[in-house]
Amino acid sequence: MTQAEIKLCSLLLQEHFGEIVEKIGVHLIRTGSQPLRVIAHDTGTSLDQVKKALCVLIQHNLVIYQVHKRGVVEYEAQCSRVLRMLRYPRYIYTAKTLYSDTGELIVEELLLNGKMTMSAVVKKVADRLTETMEDGKTMDYAEVSNTFVRLADTHFVQRCPFVPATENSDPGPPPPAPTLVINEKDMYLVPKLSLIGKGKRRRSSDEDATGEPKAKRPKHTADNKEPIPDDGIYWQANLDRFHQHFRDQGIVSAVANRMDQTSSEIVRTMLRMSEITTPSNAPFTQPLSSNEIFRSLPVGYNISKQVLDQYLTLLADDPLEFVGKSGDSGGGMYVINLHKALGSLATATLESVVQERFGSRCARIFRLVLQKKHLEQKQVEDFAMIPAKEAKDMLYKMLSENFISLQEIPKTPDHAPSRTFYLYTVNILSAARMLLHRCYKSIANLIERRQFETKENKRLLEKSQRVEAIIASMQATGAEEAQLQEIEEMITAPERQQLETLKRNVNKLDASEIQVDETIFLLESYIESTMKRQ
Amino acid sequence: MSAPRVRTSEPRAAEKRNVGTEPLRRQAGPLLHSFKRPQLSQTVRNNTYDDPMTRIIELCHQFPHGITDQVIQNEMPHIEAQQRAVAINRLLSMGQLDLLRSNTGLLYRIKDSQNAGPVSFFLSKMKGSDNQEKLVYQIIEDAGNKGIWSRDIRYKSNLPLTEINKILKNLESKKLIKAVKSVAASKKKVYMLYNLQPDRSVTGGAWYSDQDFESEFVEVLNQQCFKFLQSKAETARESKQNPMIQRNSSFASSHEVWKYICELGISKVELSMEDIETILNTLIYDGKVEMTIIAAKEGTVGSVDGHMKLYRAVNPIIPPTGLVRAPCGLCPVFDDCHEGGEISPSNCIYMTEWLEF
Repeated sequence: MTQAEIKLCSLLLQEHFGEIVEKIGVHLIRTGSQPLRVIAHDTGTSLDQVKKALCVLIQHNLVIYQVHKRGVVEYEAQCSRVLRMLRYPRYIYTAKTLYSDTGELIVEELLLNGKMTMSAVVKKVADRLTETMEDGKTMDYAEVSNTFVRLADTHFVQRCPFVPATENSDPGPPPPAPTLVINEKDMYLVPKLSLIGKGKRRRSSDEDATGEPKAKRPKHTADNKEPIPDDGIYWQANLDRFHQHFRDQGIVSAVANRMDQTSSEIVRTMLRMSEITTPSNAPFTQPLSSNEIFRSLPVGYNISKQVLDQYLTLLADDPLEFVGKSGDSGGGMYVINLHKALGSLATATLESVVQERFGSRCARIFRLVLQKKHLEQKQVEDFAMIPAKEAKDMLYKMLSENFISLQEIPKTPDHAPSRTFYLYTVNILSAARMLLHRCYKSIANLIERRQFETKENKRLLEKSQRVEAIIASMQATGAEEAQLQEIEEMITAPERQQLETLKRNVNKLDASEIQVDETIFLLESYIESTMKRQ
Repeated sequence: MSAPRVRTSEPRAAEKRNVGTEPLRRQAGPLLHSFKRPQLSQTVRNNTYDDPMTRIIELCHQFPHGITDQVIQNEMPHIEAQQRAVAINRLLSMGQLDLLRSNTGLLYRIKDSQNAGPVSFFLSKMKGSDNQEKLVYQIIEDAGNKGIWSRDIRYKSNLPLTEINKILKNLESKKLIKAVKSVAASKKKVYMLYNLQPDRSVTGGAWYSDQDFESEFVEVLNQQCFKFLQSKAETARESKQNPMIQRNSSFASSHEVWKYICELGISKVELSMEDIETILNTLIYDGKVEMTIIAAKEGTVGSVDGHMKLYRAVNPIIPPTGLVRAPCGLCPVFDDCHEGGEISPSNCIYMTEWLEF
């Protein structure tokens, strides 16, 4: 865990969960796995608070626990999982595009609560949706359940590991920490629930008093005491599946940029067909025959089989090498080369950073060294057609920023500099790591700036909140227009302007965080895929 | 160093030998000789066929790769070593023989007729010069059109630096050699014969004019080629035919691009297809163009060794990445930035400017 990562984790934990959880979390990330007492002692917080903080972290899958020998339970924080919290908006947005508002709210609830039972999710989402709908309409539980089942079928949500029910009762004392198991088959199995009901609108106390007779009220409270049918079956969001989806999106858009829309649709179809069959970190998808692809094309596309074959051949021959042909049975078997695709995307990211930071001539030199693998100073000048002095300057600048490295090849055993070849080369993996580290620090900077901006204008924000509260209460009591007007004028025009600027800045910083997170995703996927292959 | 002198001893044995090998002429020989021998000068008498020098020349013609001293000795065993040496030295100084060293010893080779020309020219010019100059001239001539550096001349000739400089000045004033500035190291001067065209590696070819790299010229060519390829890709995309034809028509071979650039007439210098290919390669390194090589029949226009290079304008596969949209991605003082320091996210001026957009 680098300093930058730890800093970022601490900022995220503080923003989402507060000071105490942040302290415990950062301590665990720094020191690795530790038992409960040691944590309490080292951080100087009371045992009670440590327990509560750990509960929160475990609920959100940020900390795992393990029973070691002699019954000691150790807790370990997962830094990478904490960094995923940056990506929550992207997950929610994906769910929205795929399953519309219902899906969006389901995923949001799951992410915000860590783990939930299905019935609890359905109820909460129905209530929220009902509030946004027009008066008189309510959201049916069945609809929400349907969406939930669809999410489970496409593996976007999965069951959490649970305590296995032991048939024979344990003779001795129960173990200090339960071991959780989950069967692969059961992970996406939705329990047979019949959730009948409608979303309830949260009403203000006045309407309640006028609307319902008092007799019905005890019944409401009694409802909450009924046993929940699926107690013990908790669900969580399956982040790996979302990552797979993002990766597919990246590949499809790359194909669309390089070739045309139809080719990208074909690639999207192929990826969709191999969603379930291919594990997420495989270098190639399963081979798909051209006949299968033809059958699975979306209904809107009526291109003939011949044209499809031509497109597939073009895709397979393209220098990008995203699609490869692995055989001729069934009209041609095609695979998507996932590892190569991730590599190309990561390389394109590197090139884009070099271009924006140093200029397009430097980018030319960078791509040249990438393609030719190892080059001497003189050869770089010749191939890139850049005057010698400028080329030298650019190469040294990139060298100092660690995008390019030198490889020494001595001619004599004594490594004399005058008799050694110095070759420039690009090591993509190490450059990707370097850039990733920079991304983490950038996001930490952006978050800090956002907090600073908010703190600067704290007074103003509090004032505007107070005014809004007063207006709302006055509206409820039925005040006149003139009084409302008077109170609104408590906020002067320049203050209003300031508030506007603040809102705009905070939004911009937020959006920028998400954009940098996209870069992080590409680089992390590439690094992971490369490490798995080694 | 003057031409080596070969020592020899016995004169006159040749005549007897010649008489012995040609019986028919024996009878007429002495008579002819007695009647017809005019009072010729020494050189003419030495040029008759029974002369050791002519024999040696004949032998050299027989063995164009060179003969050793041993071979000459075998052919004319009656000639003393002294005479042999004189003959060989004469031939060397006249410039009709070349002296070479091989791992077996010394070789004598006939100078071919091509070099006989400049040699006579050289002889006429350098009558007055001494052997040192001749040697330096020889070395420069051997360097061909790549030229040779003054230090290398010194190594090859073992003459001191002052001598070399004097000789070089002399030769230059006589317009026999010229100095060409090398494009690789601008202080270095290479010498070559006056009438030779310097090689491309020295002057840099079409991209250098007077030792200056013409960046603007290269840039203009770059843009023109890219525009041509881009327009070709556009027309192909709009034709909306089936994808194979669309893709194939968006390709342009290097020959087509060359023709287009020649017709544009923006270049004062004649550009070859290789030059255009180097320009197109820079476009590939800019990420704007991609290349494929296809096998082409020998005879189709523009094909080299049975294959053709095709180029196509392409778009980048990802838009500018997220990191560079934030000010931190491009910040020059990124490493110095930390909370609580002089440079921190809270007071970052780049961020302030960026937020005001």
